[in-house]
Amino acid sequence: MKIKVCGLKHPENIKAVAALQPDYAGFIFYGKSPRYMANLAAGALQTIPASIKKTGVFVNESSENIDRLVTEYGFNAVQLHGDESPEFCAAFKGRVTVIKAFGINEDFDFEQLKDYANNVDLFLFDTKTKEYGGSGKTFDWAILDQYKLDIPFFLSGGVGLENIKEVKNITHPQFYGVDLNSRFENEPGLKNIEKLKEAFKIIKNKIQQMKYGVNEQGYYGDFGGAYIPEMLYPNVEELREQYLNIINDDDFKAEFDDLLKNYVGRPSPLYHAKRYSEKYGANIFFKREDLNHTGSHKINNAIGQILLAKRLGKKRIIAETGAGQHGVATATVCALMNIECVVYMGEIDMVRQAPNVARMKMLGAKVVPATSGSKTLKDATNEALRDWIGNPVDTHYIIGSVVGPYPYPDIVARFQSIISQETKAQLLEQTGKELPQYVMACVGGGSNAMGMFYHFIEDEAVKLVAVEAAGKGVNSGESAATTALGDEGVLHGSRTILMQTEDGQVVEPYSISAGLDYPGIGPQHAHLFKTGRGQYVSITDEEALQAGLLCCQLEGIIPAIETAHALAQLEKMKFEANDNVVICISGRGDKDLDTYINYFGY
Amino acid sequence: MNRLNKLFASKNNNLLSIYFTAGYPALNTTVDIAEALEKSGADFLEIGFPYSDPVADGPTIQHSSEVALENGMSLKVLFEELAELRSRVSIPILLMGYFNPIAQYGVERFCKKAAEVGVDGIIVPDLPIYEYEKMYSSYFIDNGLSNIFLVTPQTSEERIRKIDELSNSFIYLLSSSTITGYNLKLSDSVEEYYKRITAMKLKNPTIIGFGITDSSSFTKACNYANGAIIGSKFVKLLGEEGYMDNIEGFVKGIRP
Ligand SMILES: Cc1ncc(COP(=O)(O)O)c(C=O)c1O
Repeated sequence: MKIKVCGLKHPENIKAVAALQPDYAGFIFYGKSPRYMANLAAGALQTIPASIKKTGVFVNESSENIDRLVTEYGFNAVQLHGDESPEFCAAFKGRVTVIKAFGINEDFDFEQLKDYANNVDLFLFDTKTKEYGGSGKTFDWAILDQYKLDIPFFLSGGVGLENIKEVKNITHPQFYGVDLNSRFENEPGLKNIEKLKEAFKIIKNKIQQMKYGVNEQGYYGDFGGAYIPEMLYPNVEELREQYLNIINDDDFKAEFDDLLKNYVGRPSPLYHAKRYSEKYGANIFFKREDLNHTGSHKINNAIGQILLAKRLGKKRIIAETGAGQHGVATATVCALMNIECVVYMGEIDMVRQAPNVARMKMLGAKVVPATSGSKTLKDATNEALRDWIGNPVDTHYIIGSVVGPYPYPDIVARFQSIISQETKAQLLEQTGKELPQYVMACVGGGSNAMGMFYHFIEDEAVKLVAVEAAGKGVNSGESAATTALGDEGVLHGSRTILMQTEDGQVVEPYSISAGLDYPGIGPQHAHLFKTGRGQYVSITDEEALQAGLLCCQLEGIIPAIETAHALAQLEKMKFEANDNVVICISGRGDKDLDTYINYFGY
Repeated sequence: MNRLNKLFASKNNNLLSIYFTAGYPALNTTVDIAEALEKSGADFLEIGFPYSDPVADGPTIQHSSEVALENGMSLKVLFEELAELRSRVSIPILLMGYFNPIAQYGVERFCKKAAEVGVDGIIVPDLPIYEYEKMYSSYFIDNGLSNIFLVTPQTSEERIRKIDELSNSFIYLLSSSTITGYNLKLSDSVEEYYKRITAMKLKNPTIIGFGITDSSSFTKACNYANGAIIGSKFVKLLGEEGYMDNIEGFVKGIRP
């Protein structure tokens, strides 16, 4: 749901409203309105960030005047609030966002909107009054059901804290956002920031229902949910109730951003890999998560979750780890916050990733071997869940990927989404275009991939390529290529795709890379796979190791073997010369040196 | 009215239930063990079907599940073994296991088959209320199967009421938030929790499970509920030589 704050006229107040980051800020150019902004200098709007659409509101103004004011104030949108004709609206379309407002009452004839459909970008439905809006009254929102066109609309007129919860329940498919005005004022034109804050909080804590996103029940299409024993219910329910409140809170965001910047070293560079670009005949960009503190993307999530745990009042942290990267990241943030840390790790993984075991111990964590089942990541996850069952009150479980019961897949995806958020801005700066043709990443549980995909998912022109580990070959019986070998089922608390026998027993996966050695994928990946939105492929151990070596030799970067899987996929792609391709370099290869050395005999 | 309802109608205290894992220690023992338990005086039974990733279970039941899977136990095999259940055993029988094997078998097919071999109820710890109600409850109800929900000391009163409403045989009370196989410590807070439940005057009987190991913990549990369930302790016995001969002694030792 978008938020528009309308009727601004005082410079200091404008700044305070802009800091709340509404999607639209409206300025009224109508002499009869008490919110008329005639005396406002054009410069006062320059401090408004580009992400907020500056909207001029006009009532039966001449098009010359509107043109002049658009230039003078730098408006990105015009809201036509009088009796403007479709042709009048059409004259602005394409240059600025055109919003046509209508006053609604029980007798309103929605048929008349048809003529506007091709000439405006948005409608705004306000309460019908003699004075062209600003009455502070609501109309009967049930009337909106009569509106059947496919132009999205703003709801305006009398929206206040008293009724904002009802607004949240509007399910009209074209409902685009709310217009906040007179019910959030100390006097006409002077907004009450505290009240606005409260409203923003309520609105933003609603889960936005997007095509590929999660719904309020925790499902992504057919996948997700929270298939957990009752013993875990209170823990998971506490998280579900609190997580959006906490992570949308300003203090939380400030602390998260500060740590990402000053502790992790973000933003991570987007590097135009010249020799790769030459070799593969496209513009290949590396998103350098390997340069993060602790050497992989896992730290983004660990920082977010430790701050979440602190705000939940938890005194003890548990985690599972495969490659050890998530364990190291968790041990690191626990040291930073002085919180007790227990990491479960498969006995086999403890051997193949021994340096990370030592790191965790140096950082003060207790590392507990998981000795059941295949003694790898899935078993470490089981042990962590068992620990959490026994410690329901004081312990937070920091899951390391976009897996587990809802809300974990959403929590981890949000914390990792910084990867694509930065990438968009960096691409715009480096190439002049926000959207690449491809984004690519390896998938274990899928957290670096989801972070890389997140802000591109709804832009269907961007192809999402997810690379799984084929191990010794998809059909070798020693593989971790989940989408190729798996079926729908339930693993670690969510309905997803997993490798399993006919009888529903989880199959022990295999990959040379411990971080990809997992028999499932996160539920959102299952959804992207099933809907065809993402392309899911797999790469063998050997292909990955060769690609890792190539990356050393062409770009001077030793990638983690997990990452090398994504790099290997480049060999199999056909690009156009102008394609921009971003590949997530999820981690560095230091932890894998032994494996590389043994294979290549250095 | 299924066998469970009849049992609770005729007897409402000191009920003893025993859990064991099908396929452990060997295939083709399920009905033999069930029969021996009935003869020894157990009131009803829970037969576990094994799963590779039993997150709610401690080492003993994990181990029994691994062995059972190695032996080749599966839902298909279990239903074959249970074909002769009702010619030999008359006490109520519950099946207990995780959701994924059921989902692969097909929930509707599973419910039909369970009813057909004479099973009375199902316990699926990781099938949540929301999903049960929304997607699966009709399969259970149409086949006359009771679905049993778990309650822990952390479960809210509102949720317990909801569970009571959805249940139609008994509610499974966990002595504490724990996986299976740990000893019950009857601390003040556990006692307070049982009293809180008793004071709620639920419509369904309650049975206490997880952490009941011997006569003394069984008797204590029965002060607060209609009966109790023994699991890991019995599964341990099944791992020992000559277990068939020791079943009677075990059951009589719990409830003389
Ligand atoms: C460097 C690196 N990349 C990728 C992964 C796979 O995890 P995910 O799929 O959650 O990104 C791991 C996991 O340990 C890792 O260490």
